[in-house]
Amino acid sequence: MGKGGARPWWRTALSCMRFLATSFVVNVQSALEYRTNFLIQVFGMALNNAAFAAFWAVLLSRTGSVGGYVFTDVMFIWAIVPAAFGLAHALAGNIRSIGQIVQRGELDVYLLQPRDVWLNLITSRTVVSAWGDFLYGFLVIALLPGLSPGRFALFCAMTLTGAAILVAAFSAAESLVFFMGDSSSASGAFTEFLLSFSLYPETVFDRGMRWVFYTIVPSGFVAFVPLAAYKALEWRALALLVPASLAYTAASYALFRLGLRRYESGNQVGTRS
Amino acid sequence: MSPLALVLRKYLVAAFVSLRNKAAYPGNLLGSLLSYAIFVFVFSRIWGTIYSGRAPIAGYDGRMAIWYFIIAEVTAFGFGRFFISLAQDMKSGQVAYLLSRPYDFVLYHYADRMGAAIPEAAVLLALGLSMGATFAGPVPLASIAQAFFLLLSLLLAGSIQFLLQFSLAMTAFWVEENTAFFWIYQKLSLVVGTLVPLEFLPAIAQRLAWFTPFPSIAYAPARIAVAYTPHEALRLAGLQAAWLLASALLCKAVFALGRSRLTVQGG
Repeated sequence: MGKGGARPWWRTALSCMRFLATSFVVNVQSALEYRTNFLIQVFGMALNNAAFAAFWAVLLSRTGSVGGYVFTDVMFIWAIVPAAFGLAHALAGNIRSIGQIVQRGELDVYLLQPRDVWLNLITSRTVVSAWGDFLYGFLVIALLPGLSPGRFALFCAMTLTGAAILVAAFSAAESLVFFMGDSSSASGAFTEFLLSFSLYPETVFDRGMRWVFYTIVPSGFVAFVPLAAYKALEWRALALLVPASLAYTAASYALFRLGLRRYESGNQVGTRS
Repeated sequence: MSPLALVLRKYLVAAFVSLRNKAAYPGNLLGSLLSYAIFVFVFSRIWGTIYSGRAPIAGYDGRMAIWYFIIAEVTAFGFGRFFISLAQDMKSGQVAYLLSRPYDFVLYHYADRMGAAIPEAAVLLALGLSMGATFAGPVPLASIAQAFFLLLSLLLAGSIQFLLQFSLAMTAFWVEENTAFFWIYQKLSLVVGTLVPLEFLPAIAQRLAWFTPFPSIAYAPARIAVAYTPHEALRLAGLQAAWLLASALLCKAVFALGRSRLTVQGG
């Protein structure tokens, strides 16, 4: 018997990090089994994003700016959002499949394993095309003028906080399945809103609706605060972004655990995928 | 009943069955409508911001730009996603069952997919018209002739979309992972005439664009909606008809070449 009492928080965190790393390695090995498919999806997604860069180049060559956003501002958004989105889906590829997994009764597999259900569930898959998003984000930031080691480090840090917020937001939307039964329309709508509002200049939207970007649809913390911080090389922005990402993650985790109490196990035999 | 009427009836039945299958799951349409609505909302805000106190750009004022986008996106959302299910049919082996049946392979797929897509596009168009009336002002249709040309152009655009995407899907006869071809097609189609009017592109890109089918996919119906003249509408519809014929020939040729590579195993 041990001495009893709660496990120190840092041990739990370390254990989670080790688990994340192991899941990541296994997922990468699995994805690389189909190497051609992997490369096609990665470069195809990067090309997909590049089409929008072409659109903005054409538009801004005619207009100069949109709501005060010039080409480099728009491209920064098109770097940080794909990088954060890519990282979120590369590490936690199941975040937008939670609803489907719960509905099919496939959650049982994760309940039986000696790991945190939420962490185990979301990290048990990688989305290959997300690697293309991640790669594209870093490619764009490398091509933007004014990149310095400090700015690059800040970009990396804000990619991490952005990815954490996206994981939390997508997971929370998917966790509605526990309360609504079929929540695919609601979570699909949320995804559309979050991505659409994150990838276009904040200033094109009315002031009256911008509070949404810092609450329910956290585009502000993923795209707009990072843009301002990057331009001013303002490290203090992390004092806002880190607590925000922790708060969103904690809220999302709590929602999942609350929903999990309502889960009724089926009799399906399955394997962890 | 004449032989031609019998043939037509066969494909109409295929289209109707497809429509009924689609109607059985109305919830699936909601996702498409919502994505379209969000996209229209965001771009109406972008165009609204751009044109705030600004003169027309490349011949388009703010109202025209928003209406252009609304109509161009109907072809992207209504007819832009045939490839995924077609490619899946090719890869899963479903194609083997269809080959032995008494109908033309391409025509059957055309009837099947368009039977579901046309009503969906009509709903998208209705949504677009109501959103446009809210964000950009009155619907820019001034005559019956313009409405006729717009609907004809949308139908031609949808048909060209189908035939080109089917040709791309049938590359699965040669390469199993053919999704990247579709991505390239889809993005070219978005940049060349969907997200912005062709007139916004640099001069050289505009000239090159006219040698491709992309202006027939989104530009033609959107242009007819916002800057209608009988002469231009006829020219654009004629161009679309020519690309429809070329796409149909391409589709037939790809199928003829591809079917010889098909190996059917088991039942």
